[in-house]
Amino acid sequence: MSQLPPVTYDIEYPYTRTTGPVVGAFLTALRDGRILASRCGDRVICPPVESDPETGESIPVDLVEVGPMGTIQNWTWIEEPSSKHPFQQPFAFALVLLDGADTPICHAVRASGMEAMSTGMRVRAQWREERASAITDVYFVPEADAEEQYVAPGEGEVELTEHLISLSFQEDLQPHRERYSRGLLEGRFVGQRSPASGKVYIPSKGYDPIERVLMSESDDVDLPHTGTVVSYTIITPVQYYGQKETEPYIRASILLDGADQPLGQQDIREIAPEDFRAGLRVRAIFRSEAERSVEGMDNRWGSTGNVVERWEPTGEPDVPFAEISEHAY
Amino acid sequence: MAERCAVVGIGQTKYSRRRGDLSINGLVREAALRALEDAQLGFADIDAIVIGKAPDALEGVMMPELSLCDSLGAIGKPIHRVHTAGSVGASTAISAATMVESGLFGTVLTLGYEKQSDGNATWALGGGRSGSQGAGGSFAPWIRNYITRSGAPEHIGWKVAVKDRKNGLLNPYAHLHLEDISIEKVKESPMLWDPLHFLESCPSSDGAAAMVLTNEAGARRAPHPPAWVLAHAKRTEFTQFPGRDTVKPAAGVECAKALYRKAGITDPRRQIDCAELYVPFSWYEPMWLEGHLLCEEGEGWKLTDEGVTERSGSFPVNMSGGVLSSNPIGASGMIRCLEAANQVRGTAGDYQVDGARVALGHAYGGAANYFAMWLVSTDKEPSFQ
Repeated sequence: MSQLPPVTYDIEYPYTRTTGPVVGAFLTALRDGRILASRCGDRVICPPVESDPETGESIPVDLVEVGPMGTIQNWTWIEEPSSKHPFQQPFAFALVLLDGADTPICHAVRASGMEAMSTGMRVRAQWREERASAITDVYFVPEADAEEQYVAPGEGEVELTEHLISLSFQEDLQPHRERYSRGLLEGRFVGQRSPASGKVYIPSKGYDPIERVLMSESDDVDLPHTGTVVSYTIITPVQYYGQKETEPYIRASILLDGADQPLGQQDIREIAPEDFRAGLRVRAIFRSEAERSVEGMDNRWGSTGNVVERWEPTGEPDVPFAEISEHAY
Repeated sequence: MAERCAVVGIGQTKYSRRRGDLSINGLVREAALRALEDAQLGFADIDAIVIGKAPDALEGVMMPELSLCDSLGAIGKPIHRVHTAGSVGASTAISAATMVESGLFGTVLTLGYEKQSDGNATWALGGGRSGSQGAGGSFAPWIRNYITRSGAPEHIGWKVAVKDRKNGLLNPYAHLHLEDISIEKVKESPMLWDPLHFLESCPSSDGAAAMVLTNEAGARRAPHPPAWVLAHAKRTEFTQFPGRDTVKPAAGVECAKALYRKAGITDPRRQIDCAELYVPFSWYEPMWLEGHLLCEEGEGWKLTDEGVTERSGSFPVNMSGGVLSSNPIGASGMIRCLEAANQVRGTAGDYQVDGARVALGHAYGGAANYFAMWLVSTDKEPSFQ
């Protein structure tokens, strides 16, 4: 049997950060071609700080310009940059002690190669053509490579910054989740019966959470396509980045006949909210085999993916709440 | 325990939808400096720092306790971070209290924060996917089950929503100041997660809250009356298992039992003067009155209905306005603990309960499967009859 492909996650979100007075002034200055540092007692600290980093004491906002020349205090070479690095060709991360500052800033140095880097070498700040009021507006080059630049100041003070943060990763389905997903593709609900408690779980976690015993393939059981609504919510979707839902819909927990744990988060779109209730008897209608997909199914969420097309009432009498309350979670 | 623990400093930020004037560092400092000022101490007097917040995905700052340590005067000192979902603020306070009680740390600064305006909690709690049901969507079915089980009328939720917002009007730090809140307004507000209306739900807030906790010697030196920590308890259960009572989770019952036993409390609603309960959705007031043994099962909604939980009632709940008035998630549980301390120190201002000497602070989190509670008192060794 061929393995289902690993689950791919692509998560991204545009965070909006409040800079506060010090970081805001620092980013505003970077946009305008200047580097600011904090005067803190008898020291000049770069990048600037909101409080004394040694003692935590409050300090007045007292910013001074440092650089653009500086000295490399230490460095490391990045031979194979990732897509998130400030340069796509090899470069150095270095501690740069800017002229006028008493503490070094950690930043990127674009050099022709690792052999061009040395501790104690002089570097100069350079500004990118496109600036975004971000730490990446500036970078450093060896003094001999520096070019004279004119940086046109921007408008207004930076108070908010936006960062589209993204994360991509893959994981293999755990064996019990693989069998659950494969079952769905075959039009079957595959759960597991605990050899210790006799409880039937779907989708199983691969262990019995009550008795804390592992389960194996020999504990797999097929469950029928009929069940009972044990609880539900009518969701008014909150709008956020990446949200595709716009209209209210029902999310239900459905206890398949013979199961002890309901299938959670079942999408209900074709039964009117006024007809929907706990105790309602329903049947899963599967998509045609060609249409079934378990894309996006993972090791944590209990969805039925794009496999169950809809749940329809069976017409049987409702199950009294007392009979399902143990499973109403 | 080797030492008794006392609250000698309390600090809060003004809570609001967006604190556009402060970075995260600035936000936590505002609360921390106010708590230190209340205790008339400086960072140099602090032996350890315990910080709590909700999942890192809320602001997209990973391990913020590391980037915040120099803003909190933590250089050269122990700092650690606690995370127990929505209950984290109370768990954090309890972790800090435990450090003082151990006798190993004299004075501990503890704080919780959230800067919800940096991100979106519903996105973060839904694993970064479309179709997140959010916290309200998760709790709504259990609330409906409570209503079915208890036979409570629907106006109970509306009453809690109005009471807590009216209390919030007296609290200068509260996020929501809804001058014209009314039963009509609540029931006519949009239905978000049936049976929960928009105005029965907590807001999304920026804010931080901090406390200075100290030992007996520290309490003797304190400039203002301390709140003595009588007892605390934390309990956890699985999020899902057959037989789980989601309306009255066993972990919540066990947490309350342990708390009352440690404090020598035998009749909690009579022996405790008031409570700050974690009520992010209106119906959780009667649910936790029952779930934490403050009344018999099925009686919680009647207490709400009879006005027992109003500030003028015999068991006031959420005098500060509660989570329904301010919800910087990671701080919300700490605010409950801190407002309980305010009551027994007599520093609760316009929402002070006359004669409050023993108060309960409480938080829950996750799928109502994390619980953290503490009891504070004006008296170091109160006698309960």
